[in-house]
Amino acid sequence: MVAGNVEVLEGGIQTTVQDYPGRPGMRAQGFFPAGAMDHFAHRAANLVVGNQPSAATLEVTLGNVALRFETGATVAVCGAPVAVSVDGEALPLWEGRRLEAGSELRIGISEGPGFRMYVAVAGGIDVPSVLGSRSTYTMGALGGLDGRALRTGDRFPLGTESGDAASGGGWRFRESARPPYAREWEIEALRGPQASPDFLTEQDMATFFGRTWRVDRNSNRTGVRLEPQLFQWARSSGGIAGGHPSNILDNSYPVGAVNVNGDLPVILGPDGPTAGGFLCAATVVHAAFWKLGQLRPVGDTVRFREVTIEEAVELDRELDARLTGTSLEQV
Amino acid sequence: MANRAVKSPLPGTFYRRANPQADPFVSEGDRVEPGDVVGLVEIMKNFHEITSEEAGTVERFLVENEDLIEAGQNLIVLSD
Repeated sequence: MVAGNVEVLEGGIQTTVQDYPGRPGMRAQGFFPAGAMDHFAHRAANLVVGNQPSAATLEVTLGNVALRFETGATVAVCGAPVAVSVDGEALPLWEGRRLEAGSELRIGISEGPGFRMYVAVAGGIDVPSVLGSRSTYTMGALGGLDGRALRTGDRFPLGTESGDAASGGGWRFRESARPPYAREWEIEALRGPQASPDFLTEQDMATFFGRTWRVDRNSNRTGVRLEPQLFQWARSSGGIAGGHPSNILDNSYPVGAVNVNGDLPVILGPDGPTAGGFLCAATVVHAAFWKLGQLRPVGDTVRFREVTIEEAVELDRELDARLTGTSLEQV
Repeated sequence: MANRAVKSPLPGTFYRRANPQADPFVSEGDRVEPGDVVGLVEIMKNFHEITSEEAGTVERFLVENEDLIEAGQNLIVLSD
């Protein structure tokens, strides 16, 4: 148990503590990085309350969360559109506000577009760091608050405020700098590591980047499941790795890989598996990874847009440039 | 009093039974009390119970077993 001066009145369906960038560099030890699934909204929320981008926030899935602050605190909620209130008074998203001690913050249920919201508190959520990060790794049940999602009655502590002007509240993330949320998403991805001509045909890759994929209801932080596709395949079988041509000898999986097991592609999320024996036809680029956190598992669709590694780096620079003080304005 | 609806707070797949062999949680004509489970919604590899917030009689279902539903969608009409 963790003591602290914020009490969880309602935990929602899956609210976890997440930081950024989680636990990178530990795949050889069996850890995918965890961390905020929408790293853009997470970082924007931290910026609005004067935190470093690495500070831990609450990642709220869908909504239905209520928190009681026993001390004064500055909060901001960024992400999917949803009704947020402080003691019954509306709090716009993307805006930092100073709460009095005893305040109750309530987040309703988001009807989209988008699926996750991030609650940043000045000073960050101060749960213990595990293996270098406060992020909850849902597959490994570690980090965050006892390695699990928040429940009614939980408490957690806050860190020390930065003293930055924004940590007192009254700043917002400019509308022009916010990303567009949609029900039909375009997600930038690199080809491979296992694509054509060795594993899939040119026609298969054209289908992969050309078609629209429905997001399956059983998508979560581990993986975003798409829908079955009968590929042609470049090989008749996986050889010694297995009968189906999606089989390969076990290898490491990239974060954001589109892993094809049998006929079913699954995009590996922040809590995904580090290695396995199915091919990865494409890899979502870092600058687009945040979109995975906003895919709604009922009704949303995805199209992949192929980019080069140079474009991927440039997209990431553009994203980072929007996550600076120039995107803030006073309320 | 007018008819009222039981809503799902979650999007996902709606089920009327706890498992394929079980009886439905509720059927037309059944009386429900606040907190009674009326169905399950499957999302993110988890099943969540849908409960009625009010008392009433199940007049009719607005969704079928295994329908995909959206957050906030009306599932059941209750009458007095």
